[in-house]
Amino acid sequence: MVVRRENMETENINIGIKQENLEELDPKAKKYLRGDGANLEVLRDKRLKGQLSVKEKLYGQSAKAAAMAEKWLLPTEHGYLEAEGLEKTWRIKQETILQEVDIISSRKPFDMVLKDLGPYRFDYTLSGRYMLVGGRKGHLAMIDMITMDLIKEFQVRETVRDVVFLHNEQFFAVAQKRYPYIYNRHGTEIHCLKEHGAPLKLQFLDKQFLLVSINKFGQLHYQDVSTGEIVGNYRTGLGRTDVMETNPYNAIISLGHAGGKVTMWKPTNPKPLVTMLCHHGPITALAFHYNGHLMATAGIDRKIKLWDIRKFQVLRSYSSYAQSMDFSQKGLLALSNGSQVQIWRDPVGSHDYGRYMNHSMVKGYQIGKVCFRPYEDVLGIGHSMGISSILVPGSGEPNFDSWVANPYETKKQRREKEVHSLLDKLQPETIMLDPSKIGTVRPPRKKVRPSKKEVEAELDETVQKAKSVTFKNKTKGRSKPSKKAKKKEEVVLNAKRSFRELHQVEERPLKKQKVDEVELPKSLQRFARKKL
Amino acid sequence: MAEKKQKTAKRERMKAYAPSKTLKFTKSKTNKKSKKAAKDGRKRKSGPHLPSSFLREFGLQKLIPSSSDKGEVEEEIEDLYEYEEALPEEETKKNRRFDPVENYEYELPDDFEDENVPSDDDEHELSDEDDGVADGEGDVADASEKHVRMLQSITGLPAEAFKDKKKKDVTLSGVQGDFGGGQISINDLLDPLHGKAGYSMLRKRLHQLEKTPMAVQAPLPKVERDKLERKVTYVQSKKEMTKWEPLVKRNREAPTLYLGEDIDLGMHTVGTIAAEHKPRTEFERKMAALIGDPVVMEAHSKDGARLLELNKVSIEDVRDHQNRLAKMRSLLFRHEMKAKHIKNIKSKTYHRILKKERQKRASAEIDMDPEVAKELAIKQEFKRAEERMTLKHKNSSKWAKRILKRGFKAQDDGTRTAIAEQLQQHALLTRKINSMNENSSSDETSDDDSNELSHGSDSGVSKLLNKAKDKTMKVMEEEDEMPKTGVFALPFMERSLKKQREAAHEEACLALQEYESSLGKLEGDEAGPSSPGKRSGRRVFVGAKSRPMTFSTEEPENHDDNDSEGEVEVREEENEHKVENGLSEVQIGPALVPDDAETGQEAIFKDFGDIAKKAGSNTTYEVSIFASDTWRKMGGKNPSDNIKEKSAVADNLVLSSQNSAGQDDNSDSDSDLEMVDGFLSSHPKSDDYKLPSQDELIHRAFAGDDVVMEFEKEKMDVLNEENPEPEKPVLLPGWGQWTHIQQKKGIPSIITEEHEKAKRKREEALKKRKDSHLKNVIISEKIDKKAEKLHLKNLPFPYTSKEAYEQSIRMPIGPDYNPAISIGALNRPAVIKRAGVIINPIKYEDIDPYGKSEDSKEPKHKRQKKKPNAKKTQFAARKVSKKS
Repeated sequence: MVVRRENMETENINIGIKQENLEELDPKAKKYLRGDGANLEVLRDKRLKGQLSVKEKLYGQSAKAAAMAEKWLLPTEHGYLEAEGLEKTWRIKQETILQEVDIISSRKPFDMVLKDLGPYRFDYTLSGRYMLVGGRKGHLAMIDMITMDLIKEFQVRETVRDVVFLHNEQFFAVAQKRYPYIYNRHGTEIHCLKEHGAPLKLQFLDKQFLLVSINKFGQLHYQDVSTGEIVGNYRTGLGRTDVMETNPYNAIISLGHAGGKVTMWKPTNPKPLVTMLCHHGPITALAFHYNGHLMATAGIDRKIKLWDIRKFQVLRSYSSYAQSMDFSQKGLLALSNGSQVQIWRDPVGSHDYGRYMNHSMVKGYQIGKVCFRPYEDVLGIGHSMGISSILVPGSGEPNFDSWVANPYETKKQRREKEVHSLLDKLQPETIMLDPSKIGTVRPPRKKVRPSKKEVEAELDETVQKAKSVTFKNKTKGRSKPSKKAKKKEEVVLNAKRSFRELHQVEERPLKKQKVDEVELPKSLQRFARKKL
Repeated sequence: MAEKKQKTAKRERMKAYAPSKTLKFTKSKTNKKSKKAAKDGRKRKSGPHLPSSFLREFGLQKLIPSSSDKGEVEEEIEDLYEYEEALPEEETKKNRRFDPVENYEYELPDDFEDENVPSDDDEHELSDEDDGVADGEGDVADASEKHVRMLQSITGLPAEAFKDKKKKDVTLSGVQGDFGGGQISINDLLDPLHGKAGYSMLRKRLHQLEKTPMAVQAPLPKVERDKLERKVTYVQSKKEMTKWEPLVKRNREAPTLYLGEDIDLGMHTVGTIAAEHKPRTEFERKMAALIGDPVVMEAHSKDGARLLELNKVSIEDVRDHQNRLAKMRSLLFRHEMKAKHIKNIKSKTYHRILKKERQKRASAEIDMDPEVAKELAIKQEFKRAEERMTLKHKNSSKWAKRILKRGFKAQDDGTRTAIAEQLQQHALLTRKINSMNENSSSDETSDDDSNELSHGSDSGVSKLLNKAKDKTMKVMEEEDEMPKTGVFALPFMERSLKKQREAAHEEACLALQEYESSLGKLEGDEAGPSSPGKRSGRRVFVGAKSRPMTFSTEEPENHDDNDSEGEVEVREEENEHKVENGLSEVQIGPALVPDDAETGQEAIFKDFGDIAKKAGSNTTYEVSIFASDTWRKMGGKNPSDNIKEKSAVADNLVLSSQNSAGQDDNSDSDSDLEMVDGFLSSHPKSDDYKLPSQDELIHRAFAGDDVVMEFEKEKMDVLNEENPEPEKPVLLPGWGQWTHIQQKKGIPSIITEEHEKAKRKREEALKKRKDSHLKNVIISEKIDKKAEKLHLKNLPFPYTSKEAYEQSIRMPIGPDYNPAISIGALNRPAVIKRAGVIINPIKYEDIDPYGKSEDSKEPKHKRQKKKPNAKKTQFAARKVSKKS
């Protein structure tokens, strides 16, 4: 058995290499090209053709440069467990891993036993530096994961259902008994968000600065934490649920419902964008891959399904059970069931996930949440008796980008970043299923109904036209002023009438009244009295 | 004569070589000569000919015979000619069939004879045909001789000198005449070559040439010629233009154009400009001498220690300087203190005195100094003009407008005086014009009013009263007119107006009575000045009450503003007016009667009291509503709480299966039980909660029983909502309904067809949906209106296909997504030009038309670009990972 953890290997930056590795760089460069260029042969406009070809060339150069930079400046690769012979990676225990890894990594796994304040939930900051811990019975604590210092610990003396960091470790939101609250890192209560109602689950969309909550009545609330404005407030109408996940690719919120449905929401649409029937029973867990194409769902029907959410089709279906799930940055999938944690891995890249690691907590511990720590090979586990973390080689992104998330951020950097992120804040309407469609031509509308104003303007125009008609002068008293006026009026009336006929708005059929008769559930239908 | 002989000899020679034509010509010539002598007299002036003076100038003899002459000659020797050239038809003037050829030359009449001036023709004839016709010209010759003699006597020169000149002329003209005739043939030229080598060959060729008839082609028509010319020009210019093509193409295809790049100002920095500076004035020279002092320069160039020595200043100097500074400072300070002190003085009298002094001084200055006076006058005039222009003091300011809008009477004393002051200032500033225009007559009138007001004597009061009386009368008269249209025409408005009017009328009558009585009082006062103040006070109070009259005229306007207001408001307004009146009266009254003020105030207080009462009742009402509401809320809360409990229990039922850690819900329900506070009830969401029915509860209990069916149903619902199903055709009410014809026939085919069509349309729409082939997925087709601004309405201009456009924008070009090396190139503008630089016209340069456009551009580009910053690249590299 070998635990391979590749460390920083700085390569010589040499121009000579450039020539040799061009082919090697190609796939990377392709990644940076973001798809194929337009087919210039079809274009008729020579000028445009020329411009586009120049642009494409520039894109190519840029992609190549980016690939080179990646090669030179992001040399660390993620490690993994490798089995030799008959060994199986999932048989390797944490203890054996600990023996092999370096000292710093060996400090990362831990078990925190907190018996009294009951099942724990937790959250990491985007950089993975800080962990926020929330016990059901009101215990809140923030821990610096590098120094393992306790930054703040306090009791809210209320049920705590979920905790989530806001844009940095300075603020966090806690879903408490009746309302979500926002605290700062010193434990001072900053806000009480009464509009949200009693929340069951919280999510924070860091690019949009939106705090999302689902409350007991199945209402979804979006609140902009930078302005305090409630962006959206929609009732799902699908009952109570506490399964809510964010798609990190497009910031769409997904909810898993008791009816086996998964709904996907954006803050500016009162109805779900997509409703999928994923399972035959209530959904227990959801997880999204970082690339935004893959979704994993677990249902009470003992199925775990992988979905391609570009096509909304099932890729794989496994028969297993999961209480909570999470994808790591590198695409490992952690599942928890009772006191067992499984980690699945897709060795080839064909979405064929197989067992990679196993970890079992002490029997009786009920695992409530599993979550990978960003930029580290660590999986955090929140359970009924406290918090644990284990080493999972190859789970985290080895190279962090200090412009995106810097675990070793200084105060100044943090402030700078806060300002930058506020300036770069995305508007809630930019959340859509395919964000790459922003800036493209919008699909043709089905029926463009002219607005009231437009219709009125048009009517005015027609009336004016009708009024401006001049009549011939007729003899024998037929062009008396009174007759003329009458005629004119008639013409205008006619014009108006014909206009109305032309623009008669097709009235939509009224919404059908809901039929009052209640159909019995299938299992009860046999008891129903048969109609004669 | 000798000349003549020469000529003939020449012709003879020509005869020897020339063909028959020349021979004929000579014949005619000789013939003509004999003829001419006879006809000379009458034929001389006919036909077109140059004026004689021109001919003399050219020195030409009359070699070309006039056409008419020629014709005659030809006629005579007709038998000798093979070809007879007919007289041009135009000249025959047959029946005037041809347009007459206009002869613009001035023709002398036939009988005209110029005697004094000897024409050159005559002279020629003299010289030509001396022997033939000499006697005719005898007197002419005499005249010339006379002329010569005269010249001789004047100049004192011998006669030969003048005669010679004439002769010279003649000979010259003779030689030239030979040329002008154009009679030299090639043979003439060949003659001298006779006997030389190649002569025979040349002659043979000449013969050949002459044998073949050489017809000269007529020139091409002008249109053709122009066409050809254009063709050539086109080819040429095309060639010229195509030369530019590669250049233009390069510029068109270049992603970036660098314009006005190669400018050389010569001097780039301030330093270079300064280095070229040469001192010109005295001062500059001195400065230069100081700066360029070799001693100082040297000190600078060395370590600078010597500079200290050079900087030495004597102690006295420093002390002097310090003293001076201290003195100045102390002076300043004292001045400042004084100013402060003066500023701090609050005494009005002091300021008044100060002001007066200042004015006095100014006036004295004006008296003393005409310049100052003039200046002041100018200033004043300027102010006046400004006033006239801006009308600044004519209540046009925002402040004044606001006050006027609120009512002049509603203001306190200060504002009123301020406004009055302003108006006065305006009057002052514009007065001069008036005085200029109307010679101070208006001044008098305006003074009149002020006098009236200011006097305040009894007579003034009586006048005022009279005026008031008049006005009330007028108003009463005006009142009778009622608005006939608009909101006031409405019956209830009319009624209210009438009521108002009546009230106003009564008041007006009262007021009139009061006026009269007070007038009488005044008269009585005048007689016996002892009268109790209290009564008058009352009187004034009532008199003031009459003021609503004046308001009543304004009232309609007020109503116009808010027409929807009912009677109540009108009354309120009245109340307000009353209050206002009271106030105004309070302000006016007190000087006259102290008691009066009290009564007025009482009235006001009453009014206020009313209002306060009303307001109080209102507020209490609201409060009661609020209280009742809260009570109701409180009352209604308990059941809802119960319901909540129930629902929570139901939820628990639902979720108990899926939630293994049941603690959560238990605790929730516990907490819910506790929630009997005022807060939750005020929450709007909990308010509209309804008790679920038994069916619903059962449904909830068995939720997730048949998920697939439910989903299908839901999908159907969604589809129906987004693509509504067409309505089923039904039997039409109306014709044939009761006779069962329609039922027999069925629904008209048009309707069924329509229905079919709609159905098909819907099917197609459904098929087009993204989720049409996904059984378990509903994808909403609803358009998010807020997100619409993120999309384009139409394709941007040069693009014609959506794909091309979308693929062209797929790459982000910002600094977050690209390495720093390529950002510049990606974001470079189409044209780079420094501001203010003149763009020169395109210059021709040779380019390889097949070379890439970038290659030629590259060097320039590189020249401009700075070296990429090392740090920047590093950043860029970091950013690279962001994209992944």
